[in-house]
This record gives sequence, C-alpha cells and structure tokens, in this order.
Amino acid sequence: MRHFLTTIAFALGLTGFAGSGFAATQYPLTIDNCGQKVTFEKAPAKIVSIGQGMTEILFSLGLADKIAGTAVWVGPVLPQYAEVNSKIPRLADNDPSFESVVGKAPDLVVAEFEWHVGAQGSVGTRQQFSELGINTYVAPTDCVAKVNTDGGDGVRKELFTMDLVYQEIVELSQIFDVRDRGDALIADLKKREADAVASIAAAKAMNLPIVFWFSSREVNGDAYIAGKNSAPAYILKRLGARNVLTTEEEWPMVGWETISQANPAVIVIATMDRRRYAADDPKVKVDFLEKDPVTSQLDAVKNKHFVMMDAQSMNPTIRTIDGIEVLAKGIKSFGLAQ
Amino acid sequence: MGLAAKRRTWWALLALAMAAVILLTFMISLAVSIGEISIPLSTTVKAVSNRLFGTSFELSRIHQGIVWDYRLSRALVAASTGASLALSGVVLQALLRNPLAEPFVLGISAGASTGAVCIMILGLGYGILGLSGGAFLGAVAAFLFVGLLAAGVGGTSERIILCGVAGSQLFNALTSYIVTTSANAEQARGVMFWLLGSMSGVRWPDVYLSGPVAIIGFAVCMAHVRVLDAFIFGTDAAASLGIAVKRAQVVLLGVTAFMTAAVVSIVGSIGFVGLVIPHAARFVVGPSHDRLLPAAALAGAIFMVAADIISRVIIPQQILPIGVVTALFGAPAFALILYRTRRTA
Amino acid sequence: MSIAVDTVTFAAGNSLIVNGVSLTVEKGKVLGLLGPNGSGKSSLLRLICRLRKVKSGVIRLGGSDIASISRSDIARRIALVEQQATTDTQVTVMDVVRLGRTPHRGPLSAWSAHDDAAVSDALARVGMQGRAGQPWQTLSGGERQRVHIARALAQTPSELLLDEPTNHLDIQHQLDILGLVSRLDVTSIVALHDLNLAAMFCDSLAVLQNGEVVAAGPPEEVLTQELIERVFGVRAHVQKSSVHGRCNIQYMAG
Repeated sequence: MRHFLTTIAFALGLTGFAGSGFAATQYPLTIDNCGQKVTFEKAPAKIVSIGQGMTEILFSLGLADKIAGTAVWVGPVLPQYAEVNSKIPRLADNDPSFESVVGKAPDLVVAEFEWHVGAQGSVGTRQQFSELGINTYVAPTDCVAKVNTDGGDGVRKELFTMDLVYQEIVELSQIFDVRDRGDALIADLKKREADAVASIAAAKAMNLPIVFWFSSREVNGDAYIAGKNSAPAYILKRLGARNVLTTEEEWPMVGWETISQANPAVIVIATMDRRRYAADDPKVKVDFLEKDPVTSQLDAVKNKHFVMMDAQSMNPTIRTIDGIEVLAKGIKSFGLAQ
Repeated sequence: MGLAAKRRTWWALLALAMAAVILLTFMISLAVSIGEISIPLSTTVKAVSNRLFGTSFELSRIHQGIVWDYRLSRALVAASTGASLALSGVVLQALLRNPLAEPFVLGISAGASTGAVCIMILGLGYGILGLSGGAFLGAVAAFLFVGLLAAGVGGTSERIILCGVAGSQLFNALTSYIVTTSANAEQARGVMFWLLGSMSGVRWPDVYLSGPVAIIGFAVCMAHVRVLDAFIFGTDAAASLGIAVKRAQVVLLGVTAFMTAAVVSIVGSIGFVGLVIPHAARFVVGPSHDRLLPAAALAGAIFMVAADIISRVIIPQQILPIGVVTALFGAPAFALILYRTRRTA
Repeated sequence: MSIAVDTVTFAAGNSLIVNGVSLTVEKGKVLGLLGPNGSGKSSLLRLICRLRKVKSGVIRLGGSDIASISRSDIARRIALVEQQATTDTQVTVMDVVRLGRTPHRGPLSAWSAHDDAAVSDALARVGMQGRAGQPWQTLSGGERQRVHIARALAQTPSELLLDEPTNHLDIQHQLDILGLVSRLDVTSIVALHDLNLAAMFCDSLAVLQNGEVVAAGPPEEVLTQELIERVFGVRAHVQKSSVHGRCNIQYMAG
C-alpha cells in the first residue's frame, strides 16, 4: 500500500511538474541575435564569457560549471560568486586574444560588447568563430538600437532599459534550458528595482541634475560622461532625476565647462580596478574636483555630494540595479529626497 | 605670375603684420568669449577685468573660473604652441631643404612618448617629474640621438631626415617594448592616448612654459634670418656665403627641438600645423625669412586658436580632438597651396 | 699672386683625392682646370674657398694663408659657383642675387644703396637686368646658371671659382658665360670639360689626373696631342686656329 501511494504521489508530482507550465527548450533553437541567426542543436556544454556583465548573468543562472574561461573585468566580481569565479581561468583582465579563447575549445562564446566580438571585434568577428564551428552570442544591450560602427563606445538611439537585460536573461536561459532560473532572476531584479525607486519616491518631483563621471584621459582634461540613452541615464530616469547631457553617444568626451554649467546636484564617480588612466582612481577624480578652480565652486563639490559607484553598474548589466540602489541611497543620505 | 610671386612693398607688409596681430587678438578674445557653453559677452568682459585689473564685479564664480582659468589660459597656450610649431616647421623646411619637413620629423614625438611611458613605468611619479616632464626629456633625448647620428653620418639634408626616421622607429620600438613587457601595460597604454594632442588639460602653469618658449624661439630664429635664407641652395652654397654651417645647424635644430619638445609635453602631438602653416605663410609673404618667420608665427597662432574654438563648438556638448580639426582644415589647405604653386615651366 | 696653392693634399676617408697640388693664378687672369671626372677638380675648388680643410699644404689668397682668414672675410672676397644648385622654393631672380650680399651684411644691418648697386651691377653683367622679378622655376638651365654667377658677382669678390659652369648649357650660353668670365677683372678658376672652350677663354691651364697636376701653363704649351691622349684617352690633332689665334683641338674618332 505504502509503495503504491508513493508511486501515485511520485506520478502526481511528475505531472504536477509538467503541468506547472515552464517551457522546456525545444532544440534545435534558433535565436535572432544582433542581426544574425544563431542555431543551437543542444544546450552548450563549454562557454567562454567575454564581459563581466555577461559572466555575472551566467553565474546568476547557475551556469558557472559550464564556463571554461572569462575575460574583460572592470572590477571585482559580485561577492556571492567570488568562490565559483576563482575556480574559472581568467584569460585576460581586458581583451583576450582570439587564440586564447579558441584554445579553450568552447562551443559557445558570449560577449557583452560588439567591440569585442562583432564586425570590428578586437577579439574576433562572429564569422571567424562560426568558421571554427563555435556559436557566438552578443548581448542585446549592445546592439539593439545602438550603432557601433566607430569601434568606440557607440551611439545609442533609444534609451536603454532593463528590458534589454531581461531579454538577454530570457535568451540565455532558453539556450541553456534553464528557463525557471531565468524567470526567477528577472523577478528578483524587478523587485529590487521597484524597492529602490520607492525608497526615494519623494525626490521624483525634484528632477535633480546628476552627472556620471567614468574617467578621463588626462586628469585635467575632458571627461567621459554618460550619454542620454546609456544605462546611467536609465538609472536617472527611474529615480526621477535628470542627466545633464543630451547627446546620444554612449560615453562622450565632455569638457568641464559643459558639466559645470549644469551645476549637478550629485556627481556619481566610477570606481574600478583598472588603472589605464590616472583618473581611473576615484581618489584622483575627487582630488581634481576639489582643486580645480571651476569645479571647486560647484554645489555638489562644496557639499561633497559624491556617490561612489562600481563602474560595472554603469554598464548595461544586471548590476544596473545595484546602481539604482546605490544612487537612491546616496540621494537619500544627502537629504535631497525631501 | 600670381599671388605667390607678387612683391609686397614695405608699407603693405607692415599693414599685413598689424592686421595679423589684430586678428590674433580678436581670435583670442573670441576663444575667451565662446566655448562649449555660452556665457554672455558682458560677463566675459567683467570676468577678465576682475582678474586683470582687480575690479570686483559680481559674478558667478563658475563663470569667472571658466573664462579666466579655462578659456584664457587655453587660448594663450594655443597661440604660443601654434606659433612654436609653425616656426619649427619653417626652420626645418629651410635647413632640410624639404617642403615636407615638419617638427616631428626628428623623432621628437616618438621620444616624448618613450619618456612619458618611462615615467609611468619607473614610477618616478607625478611628484618629481610628472608626465609632461618625462615627455620633454624623452623628446630631447630622441633629438640628441638623431643629431649625433646625423653628425656621424655626414650632416646633409637627406641624411638628417633619414636619421630622423631611424630615431622615430627606434623610440617607437622602445615604447612598444616597455608597454608590452611591463606589468603596468594597461597604464602605459593609457599614456599613448594622452600624446594624441589635446588642449583640454591646459591651465595657467602651462602658459608660463609655452609663452616664454615661443618668444625665445622666435627671437633665436629671427637672429638667424640671413642664415636661413642662405641655406636655400644647400650647405656648400651657404658656407660659400660665409655661414658657419655646423654651428647654425646645431643652434637652429636645437631651438626647433626645444620648442617642439615643449609643445609636445604640454599638449601632445598636434599635426599639420608645422607642415602647412609655413607653406601658407610663404604663399602670402614670399620666401624671405625676415618676413616669413613673423608671418608663420602669427599664422600658426591664429590657426591653432581657431582650431581650438572649432573643436569645442562644432559638436554640441562634445569635444572633437584638436588633431582632427587641424587635419580637417590643414589637408585641403595644403592641397590648395600645392595646386596654386604648381610649376608652370 | 692672387691665388696660390702650395703642395696641397686632401683625403676623404681612406682615399687621397688631391695629392700634392701646386698652382698659381695671377690677379685678374683666368685659369682653366681640366681633367677627367674624379680627378679632384671639384674638391680642389672647395679647398680653395675653405669649404673643406686641407690635410697638408697651404693655400694663399693675395698672400695670406686662408686658414688664418675668418670665414666671413673669405666669403667677402672669394665666391663659388657650383655645378648645379637647385631649389624648390618659389624665389625670384632678385631673391637669389640678393643672397650674394649676405657676407657683407650683419644680422642687424639694413639693406643699403651699396647693396642695391652691387646687385643691379651683377644682374647687368650677366644680362638679366630686366628679369629681376622672374620666378626661378620659370628659368631655363642657362638662365639659372647666369643668375648663379650674378649671385657670385653680387658678393663683389676679388676671386671667382666656377665648377663646370657650362654643363647643361646650349652653345650660345656656353660662349656667353665664358666670355663674361674672361672679361671680368676678377681672378677666376674655371673647371671645364671642353678643351676647346678652355683654350679659347683661359689665360692658363692646369690639368689634373688622379689628384695630381700633370701639366700647367699657357694653353698652347699644355694642350699637346700626347697629353690629351695620356690624360683623356682620346686621339686629337692640335693646331693654332686662324680664326681666333688660340689652340684648336680636332678629335679623331676610332
């Protein structure tokens, strides 16, 4: 009797599972990705991930064991994945070579930016990989409504929204047949976003002018500031604040006259591990702001309304949500949310 | 006969010189009054007056800072570096008897990048020497190398140019080696971008270097007006006219290297100015160096200030690198000059 | 002696280019310097105006050792016209001739009437006086050479050195220029290839071979059939011309 009941329960459980409606991936799966059709015969077994944002999404989907190598790291990995990450070989802190990627014999290469894997990819073109039988997937955050022909940061024609990241999560979870994890991740991110927005709901009416400073080639020189359709712009829009820039370029080089004119209420300063330019160091950025004859007169500098934000949050990734949280906290702590 | 062959009378030249000086002053005023953001002219005037004459008009401290600390210092540096590059171009074209000679032909910008990269790697730091100091020393080192090499192989014009090519290649290779083998490769690579040429990081301390350099350079060049004229048919012809050729080469090439090294260490390598302005000036006032040098200096100053203004206003809210602007205008101008002076014989 | 060369040697690297050359030129006379290519003519001329330094021997101008004369003094008295001096710059005839005044002008001295006179005189003597404003690039080879000579004359030299001034010229200009040089009252040394022209216009000749003087003296003494065959490797018949009284060399082919 017990045996029979267990079997019935098991059978019911199975049908219950099947009936819950989560869509198992039907292979072969063809995805329209950044202007190319990519076909998967089965879930890929070995991945090389180029781009910290992309890697962190894969970690969040529990796919760490399939990653054979990573590259392009802006800062430290999300702490909850530090351990799994330490077991995965890092091919390069920045651009890996084509051979090092291919040498891992992956069946899928995923890239966060078209300037790594794309028509002018510094690692390789998508055709180079497909000639070797390797599929490529480029994050929709970098190619939807975005023009990357100049090989730089590109120009974004429409405001970035987290929907693009959610699209990426959905597509990746389809490719790897882990749709349930994907949906759970999206739900969690949406909740965090809503909570952060609600925490400073009062500031929405203020329309605060805010600027995101990534870095500068020369400390005294023009700065790389987030453009009007970039991920930081999305953060500002969600929080009811205003980007001081109206250019569509993703990270234009802007002079301090323009930035000072806007007299931002808060200056968001990027922190990162990279030290390509002296201004990569957030301390150097703050030092400049406080010593320069013009910027030292800005309200944000006089009142030290600086928000330190991990540079990875300024990229269109799941960490954009972190960015929303960090900035909301900052605005609140400065007492600007009244 | 055309404009190129027209002889100008003394009075016409004087008038031209005065017009150029007035134009330069106007351009500098323009650079102070317009920029990335628009500041009312009255505010600009008050800001300058406050700092210059100690008046105390009520002004936003931000506008005050922008006009005086950003725009005026940058306009003055643009003018003096433009003049320095143009003068260097004139001297090099005369000494090397090559119309394509320009200030970076002696390996100076290659040396500057090596020097800057060394500072980054050796980490002498921004305390003692700074990136600019390193660039200056590197530029001078490259020039000395090229000079010694040229002296060793016989200092004819063709040989000097070839030595310059060798020097550039060597120092570029050194830079690449240091960059690829250093632990701080990322940092070192960052330095290369800085040398591409930019007026944005300029503040008043840079004026105190570029101004005197341009003035001293101009004075030394003017003192050698006859020498420069005499080189037109080569070193032997110059020597037969009584010129101390070796000493002249050392002094003139030295002052050129000095001016160019100073320019590169402040604003990086800005191309086309040293190549095109001498030809443009020659086109207007003729090849006699007593007129050519002042004309080139003024034209170079005006051109650079104009290029800086354009680089800031041509795309709203963005800065175009100044090297792009000088090339955009310099290349067609050069083509036009070549066309107008094509040989009729 | 206006120019006196005394046992002068000159070497470039390991090869001896001028080997124990001695010759003299009297004031106001024309010396023709002959010899095959590579015999050291150009180098000798450059030694005489101190563009190169002698290895041994002494060169005297008007009795003074040139090693003791200052560079600018040398330039004020002796002028050199090179074989082919070219430029790409858009200069005019006047610009080029004015250069000749350089040794006489300090860095701060203004252009004087004396300078003007020297320049217009020089232009007149080469027959280019109406062409002062003409661009250099539009001149023919012969005209350019005349302008170079005018530049040398503008230096108001007392000695004039010409290195193969008649190469690339048509016959009319060859005769013009050499006639001009022979009529000038400056002491001249002219390096030439054409033996007949040398005979016509020079007061004395010196023949160089491998850096050594193999014959010197008046043309009729120097230009013998034997010397011409030995030095130039051609057979010729020399006779006195009934037209102008100077030697005339008739070459025999084959």
